[in-house]
Amino acid sequence: MLEDIKTLRKAPREEYYVPGHRTCAGCGPALQYRLVAKAAGANTIFIGPTGCMYVANTSYGCGPWAVPWIHAQITNGGAVGSGIEAAYKALIRKHKTDAEFPNVIVMAGDGGSSDIGIQALSGAFYRGHNLLFICYDNESYANTGIQTSPTTPYGAWTTFTPAGPVSPEGKKLFPKDLPKIMSHGHPELKYLATASIAFPVDLMNKVRRGLNAQGPSFLYIHAPCPKGWSFPSEKTVSIAKLAVDTGMFQLYEMTEDRRFKVTYRPKELKPVEEYLKLQGRFKHLRPEHIEKLQNFAQRRMQEVGIEITLLSS
Amino acid sequence: MGVKKRISGCVAVANGVKLADVDVICSYPIRPYTGIMSELARMVADGELDAEFIHGEGEHAQLSVVYGASACGARAFTGSSGVGVTYAMEVYSPISGERLPLQMAIADRTLDPPGDFGSEHTDALCTRDQGWLQGWSSTPQEALDMTLMWYRIGEDPRVLLPQYSCQDGYFVSHILGEVEIPDAAQVKEFLPPYKNHHVLDVRRPQIIGAQIEPAMGPPLQYQRYQAVEGARQVIKQAHAEFAGIFGRSYDPFVEEYMTDDAEAAIFIQGAHAETAKTVARRLRNLGEKVGVVRLRVFRPYPTQEVRLALSKFKAVGVVDNSANFGIAGSSGVMLTEARTALYNLGDKVKTVGFVGGLGGEMITHDEFYRMFAKLKEIAKNGKTDRDGYWLPFEL
Repeated sequence: MLEDIKTLRKAPREEYYVPGHRTCAGCGPALQYRLVAKAAGANTIFIGPTGCMYVANTSYGCGPWAVPWIHAQITNGGAVGSGIEAAYKALIRKHKTDAEFPNVIVMAGDGGSSDIGIQALSGAFYRGHNLLFICYDNESYANTGIQTSPTTPYGAWTTFTPAGPVSPEGKKLFPKDLPKIMSHGHPELKYLATASIAFPVDLMNKVRRGLNAQGPSFLYIHAPCPKGWSFPSEKTVSIAKLAVDTGMFQLYEMTEDRRFKVTYRPKELKPVEEYLKLQGRFKHLRPEHIEKLQNFAQRRMQEVGIEITLLSS
Repeated sequence: MGVKKRISGCVAVANGVKLADVDVICSYPIRPYTGIMSELARMVADGELDAEFIHGEGEHAQLSVVYGASACGARAFTGSSGVGVTYAMEVYSPISGERLPLQMAIADRTLDPPGDFGSEHTDALCTRDQGWLQGWSSTPQEALDMTLMWYRIGEDPRVLLPQYSCQDGYFVSHILGEVEIPDAAQVKEFLPPYKNHHVLDVRRPQIIGAQIEPAMGPPLQYQRYQAVEGARQVIKQAHAEFAGIFGRSYDPFVEEYMTDDAEAAIFIQGAHAETAKTVARRLRNLGEKVGVVRLRVFRPYPTQEVRLALSKFKAVGVVDNSANFGIAGSSGVMLTEARTALYNLGDKVKTVGFVGGLGGEMITHDEFYRMFAKLKEIAKNGKTDRDGYWLPFEL
């Protein structure tokens, strides 16, 4: 069992996501990777479907992991993870290895989880493999140069959803809610949570609870992207915090009782505009578009049981 | 010694997988290969085989699951047919690129259309250049033996490549044949445990499948090329060892039938070869100088052996049981590769392509008689008037 981490100072000093990567300055996904690896520890195998955390981490044939890592296609993180878990089960049972059963963690982007990879993700959870699947959500296909994914917010500019006279708001669709897709429909699911890089202790503890659950566990981590969202690279953590404090991202977890438990309630909910105005991807939005996003945030909060007391701007 | 049973090609492969003590199996149903997985599921349920049996959510997942399993040092098995084979296409190159010697059985089926369940080699031949070893059996016995032989060859440290063990759908997969099932002690002697030096193990952390810069591409691809080429020697050696242990021998690459002093021959792979042999034997009885050469290994393509086997004939009819629309020679890939093997001999051997048995149809005795008649005419005249014929429309 992995113990809960009480404070940041009491987090393990050992690092398993180490120098040697080429992510952008202020990269949110790289920050969460470091925290996840730290929380999981040495007995861990990472599966890395194609995405930023493959391309920017393994360029030139080297990579930043002090634990085993294997590439998966953007399509099949869940299936490759299933095979690794099954192999260790068989090899241990048949006495073909003396290794301990490892933590099997799939680290997939939002495209590799909610879009092209959703079939493999769902298959692995249906079958009940003992693995932790993490979707680090930077809300776009980022390594290909910022294209819309199913988790890109309504109104965001991407190179595939540019704002123009015909489409003044840029992206017209509202995002898929991947944690909700995963939460009720996979009977073998043992643990599910959302997390944010602005809440590192909470994030690390959710990794540990997911691994302790000994079954398919899903963690959805909000990881802002300075390049794709157009904000200064030193603002990554404060943008992530604002997403939670405006209700655009909600922190909760769900165990086998299938109920959402909110793990952080903003004391004073800020208007979503405060979050939007710091990001270039939303700069074209008009008041009517911002109103839609405000309603979107409130609906998402209500769904998981966050009561709304909106501070007027 | 083993036991003799009358079993289908599907059940024969399942017996081979069981004897190989496979650790991880991933299934998805599609006819006609499904029988392999049903038999393996029964073996696992009855406690005859200790393996993780995973129901993949599709063929793409099947190949992905065994990729992960093999990367941990598990012996892994999967299989498919028809459009299932092509649905998994993305994952074949990563498997051979990471040098993971897992095995996939293919019981051939047409792609869609026609959407029937008939046998055609088109499915497996679509995968021929993915860096895997690939061979065709023509009987259930050979299907079982090839399962064991491919693991032995693919897992050899000099090779480390995945293997397609192909058989014709229905003609092999569903027809009963007498099969000697070897005993476990013989298999243990022939097939050592799978050991790969690069596996996912927290005690020796490794990064597998990192992205590389373009300058690293040529050496990486050259290594895979060398592995496929180098497999030729290991294939020969494994066949010799197999014969010594099991008392059954195969020509490693090409099997020749009644080719002594033959002037014309059919060159073919898979189960239709058995029909061709019957017709050749009858023609021999009538005094015709004809024979059959059967290709057993398609990758690595046995260029030397094919050249040696075919160069003694005046005319060779190359049978393609696959649809290759618009290919050079307007016939099929069996013809183009055979012609490449023969090219440096000049115009000595006349070759012609015969496309037959598409959509799962039989290639009938009558069709083989017509092919041999055409070859006799070509041998006599010393020239061909066209590259290929689609049967039954053009011949």
